[in-house]
Amino acid sequence: MEILKIAVTGNVGAGKTTFIRTISEIEVVDTERRITDEKIASWKENTTVALDFGRLTLNSEQIVHMYGTPGQARFDFMWDIILNKVHAYILLVAVHRPQDFRGARRILTYINQRVQIPMIIGLTHTDCEGAWQKDDVILALGLTNQNIDLPVVDVNAENPNSVAQCLLTLLEQWQPKPTT
Amino acid sequence: MVQASMLNEIIQKFVTSISGIEGAALVTPDGLSLVSVLPSSMDEERTAAMSAAILSLGERIGQELVRGLVARIVVEGEKGYSVMVSCGRDAVLLVLASKETKQGLLFLEIKRLVRELMPLLG
Repeated sequence: MEILKIAVTGNVGAGKTTFIRTISEIEVVDTERRITDEKIASWKENTTVALDFGRLTLNSEQIVHMYGTPGQARFDFMWDIILNKVHAYILLVAVHRPQDFRGARRILTYINQRVQIPMIIGLTHTDCEGAWQKDDVILALGLTNQNIDLPVVDVNAENPNSVAQCLLTLLEQWQPKPTT
Repeated sequence: MVQASMLNEIIQKFVTSISGIEGAALVTPDGLSLVSVLPSSMDEERTAAMSAAILSLGERIGQELVRGLVARIVVEGEKGYSVMVSCGRDAVLLVLASKETKQGLLFLEIKRLVRELMPLLG
């Protein structure tokens, strides 16, 4: 049996925990705590403080393990712990909160400086008011020059089909190495 | 409103008056620092986040593996202990102690400290 480990990362409220909950076949191991930061608490109740864990069986030979990271930068030690153990990652970006693009860019830089693994960018909240267009988001994330082939997909974290599609796109990104 | 100066005073007193205690911090369950008396080499923000993260994982283990309510998380290193305990609904307490500290005494003092802090946290 091959275990494909992937990380789901991104800013607070990008949809990481929801993404994993939507597709996991086991009850997700989550570590959510009530938000005390007033700026965020006004639009979001809970936040992940350690990690989320979910599992999805692809076929008789492959299982996907999903690790969700905390969104806030003060938990970046968890990013290290998780990203050093995964084969690929998904960066979720809420496109209706342009003020978060800088944070997403920071996460991207942080990861790229540490590991070189396959990744995709999942754009969430595309149906929300104030949502940016894909091309503009790509520009804002500074992805225009390098990483031309970087896949950027729309994903509805609450929709199982949409999440599955996003996962499959990521899986297509790399030839998985055998794992133990 | 939390009385920050009183919390600070209590934590300060705890760290300086009990031998072997090297630091303590009170943080929110989502990892923001409330009060801290830590060795200067430690980053307050990261320490707060780490304390909240490990306590939440530990509590999750308690729940998932049917160990009941978690009294404390202890990380025992060759140079000493880090102890994380829940301090009511709104706070997590981190205590750093030297290796020489007697464990029973340490846990007892932490319990006392939590009892003292709880009413102030509302």
